Amino acid sequence: MIEVKNLNQSYTKHGKKKTLENINLTVKEKAITALIGPNGAGKSTLLGVTANLIKPLSGMVMINGIDVRNIKTDELAKKLAILKQTHNINIRITVKDLVEFGRFPHCGGRLTDIDKQKVKESLEYMNLVGMEERYLDELSGGQRQRAFIAMILAQDTPYIFLDEPLNNLDIKSSVEMMKIIKSLVTELDKTIVVVLHDINFASAYADYIVAMKNGRIAGEGSMEEMITKEVLDEVFDHDFNIVTHQGRNVCLYFDRTFNRRKIYEVI
Amino acid sequence: MHKQAILREKRTVIIFAILAVLLVVSVLLYIYSRTYAKALRLNIVMDKSAFSSIMGRTIPALIGMGAAAVLIAVVSLAFQTITGSRILTPSMIGFDSVFVGTQTVLVFLFSSMSKAFTNPYLNYLIVAGTMVTVSMMMYGSILRSNKNNLVFLLMFGLILSGIVRSGSTYLQVIMDVNDFNQVRAATSVTVNNMNTKIIFIALPLMVAVISIMLARHKIYDVMSLGPDNAKSLGIPYEKEMKFSLFLISVGMSVATALIGSLAFLGLLAVNIARELLKTYKHVYLFIGSAGLAALALIAGQAVVELLQGAVPVTVIIDLIGCSYMFYLILKENRV
Ligand SMILES: Nc1ncnc2c1ncn2[C@@H]1O[C@H](COP(=O)(O)OP(=O)(O)OP(=O)(O)O)[C@@H](O)[C@H]1O
Ligand SMILES: [Mg+2]
Repeated sequence: MIEVKNLNQSYTKHGKKKTLENINLTVKEKAITALIGPNGAGKSTLLGVTANLIKPLSGMVMINGIDVRNIKTDELAKKLAILKQTHNINIRITVKDLVEFGRFPHCGGRLTDIDKQKVKESLEYMNLVGMEERYLDELSGGQRQRAFIAMILAQDTPYIFLDEPLNNLDIKSSVEMMKIIKSLVTELDKTIVVVLHDINFASAYADYIVAMKNGRIAGEGSMEEMITKEVLDEVFDHDFNIVTHQGRNVCLYFDRTFNRRKIYEVI
Repeated sequence: MHKQAILREKRTVIIFAILAVLLVVSVLLYIYSRTYAKALRLNIVMDKSAFSSIMGRTIPALIGMGAAAVLIAVVSLAFQTITGSRILTPSMIGFDSVFVGTQTVLVFLFSSMSKAFTNPYLNYLIVAGTMVTVSMMMYGSILRSNKNNLVFLLMFGLILSGIVRSGSTYLQVIMDVNDFNQVRAATSVTVNNMNTKIIFIALPLMVAVISIMLARHKIYDVMSLGPDNAKSLGIPYEKEMKFSLFLISVGMSVATALIGSLAFLGLLAVNIARELLKTYKHVYLFIGSAGLAALALIAGQAVVELLQGAVPVTVIIDLIGCSYMFYLILKENRV
């Protein structure tokens, strides 16, 4: 179980401007939690602090009742895997080698048959068969994104954090990715926190939705509670239209009349 | 296995084989240059006893050069990995000046007759201790506070070595002539003039540093993915970085005390190995750059001896290395 308690974080010295303010959160086990919120809300920072990559100002994160800062790095890597929003790797590496790195916490780099099997499965899961020997810098953005997610899958941890996994993916791949994420929960009992910018994907696939704004939790709850005009208008400072389709709330975010008038005014 | 992977592996094997052959040739050439070539030149007969007496000096020189070259290559590669840079090497940050500075201060404070200076082991321990402490403090503070701020690191090193150098020059000017000569002799170690007195402490230390680093090649592979990725894959990054910096400092202090400063050898060897091997895997890079460094030093030294060159091989290596560094900097800035 992951619990975040009274968490505060700041990138500035002496904590003048807080990036995270008094965050309290318990991550739902064996479910998909979608983290939504505008740019700069602190979503990535929250994931970073929770994964012990960023130091908090105060408060703590507990995984199965132990403070993350007291868990050895190599132990933590077997519990929690995180896909970062941006991957800046400055080495030239093939897809297969990258995915094999995902096994490092388990085998220290000496791959056993089990590790090789996991790598193979992850590659298959992410539809990367045939691309194993391609270099990452020769792939399209979406293929590269899938390779990184395959590495996370190979890490085979009970907790998985995905920071905008749909980055660079086309619509079909996005839907497939969300299905894969869903199957990780239903078939493999994983606990997943995923940052999503497309609220409709959150609405369609998430079991639980947490919204952030200005470093605080602006609301949390089920799809029905969160995907409403009141909540979303407040979180995103935007005029939403919500319709219901097949029992799920769907957002229409564009407002054509508004845009047209705006452009007209500018001209 | 896939075709590309097999091809890549084949390439690596061929490169290593060529490297090994070249190394053997250069070792033989070096031995030849010091024995038969010299005999021919001086018009004397090379009999068994003369040969073995020359070999008695040549083999330690070979071992010293080989070990130092391998060590410098290995620590340079590790340094580049943990700093995430292809241009920096540890020696660029003024190791030799700290070495000269420590020796100067020692003599200045305790005179050239003191145990701290005359006992080679004690002297080495003091010098190495200072070098390790200074460099750990420097790297540690800079790398921690200014992640990847290479310009800052280079500038800091430049300023530090400038201050230390002028400080030691000043002390050398005001100390007495005998002390001055002793310091000069102790700090002008080169490939031709190795400080063989410390070989029994230097060699085990070198072997230790090299083998520890080689044994941890998988960890360096992961670290080359960057701090955040390495941490999420279970590498305690700060701890590993500190430990590596410690090993690097120890290694550089041995190399500098044994054969003097070889500022650009590491840069040259590591980057050529990268270009040739086209891999990020540290097993191959370690072996490749170590072989290249040893080759450059031994072959260079053999040629210098054959041509009776007045220029020591280090000058040549520094010249090439320096131009290569310019090339690297220009290349990186072009993008
Ligand atoms: N390394 C950093 N140093 C300083 N400030 C940072 C750093 N990373 C993020 N910030 C700031 O912290 C705030 C929260 O950033 P964060 O990346 O957590 O937002 P986010 O919710 O993930 O946004 P996005 O949707 O754009 O990814 C922002 O105001 C950002 O400018
Ligand atoms: Mg983000």
